[in-house]
Amino acid sequence: MTLIVLLLGLAVGVLVGLLGIGGGVVLVPALVYLLHMDQHLAQGTSLFILLPPVGLGALREYWKRGQVDLRAGILCALGMLVGGYFGGLIAVPIASRNLKGLFGCFLILAAFLLWRKPQAENRTIESSSDGSAHG
Amino acid sequence: MGQPMGDGPIRDAGIFGAACLCGIASGLFGIGGGTLLVPFLALFFAFGQHRAQGTSLIALIPPTGALAFYAYAKAGYISWHTGLLLIPGVFVGGMLGGWLAKRLQPRRMRQVFAGLMLALGVWEAAAAWGR
Repeated sequence: MTLIVLLLGLAVGVLVGLLGIGGGVVLVPALVYLLHMDQHLAQGTSLFILLPPVGLGALREYWKRGQVDLRAGILCALGMLVGGYFGGLIAVPIASRNLKGLFGCFLILAAFLLWRKPQAENRTIESSSDGSAHG
Repeated sequence: MGQPMGDGPIRDAGIFGAACLCGIASGLFGIGGGTLLVPFLALFFAFGQHRAQGTSLIALIPPTGALAFYAYAKAGYISWHTGLLLIPGVFVGGMLGGWLAKRLQPRRMRQVFAGLMLALGVWEAAAAWGR
């Protein structure tokens, strides 16, 4: 069991570095299905894991290549701190079953956003090469 | 919105507002928030993919989920043991992933991952409300 948990952490970490995400999206369902946790417990544990700077190792690689906007990063951190407080307040009283369903809907939305990104990337490249404004 | 914004208070306010939304999702679903933050930065603020990911990672360095975590901890929704076991793996894996991202065009990878999340999302919603 301990080995499974350690390997799960490693697998989630690779996604963190590769996709620049927190990892909770994968962690929560993994905790629910592999370790049979309740939805609330899985989400709380996921938040606990994300407290220390687990992405620091991944960040180093991006930082070395100057692919970090520090100012935007600080603003995002502040916004997420504030937003997180309200999100937590909303989540705790929701029934576990409904929370699980909402989480599923969120995953579907996130999947679409993730799929969309390559198109945005192409648009950015196009607009910077021909210099035309869009939107 | 599609037009890249220059530096300025409007852009800053926009980024802060978008991050607040990500924070609500973060607290509500117990996730880091990067899943939303990366596409937001890329779509609305004209960040390149790698830059969006790097910025998302730096935004996740401070404990942005601390207040949400507090709400869960108060309600007893934390498995400390499992959490402590997972932290070192996520850290080491993150270094590996960051190194890999330099070498891969992660587009295909992202699409596979998006497909996986879609399937997982449908499964979760169906499992919760389907019966």
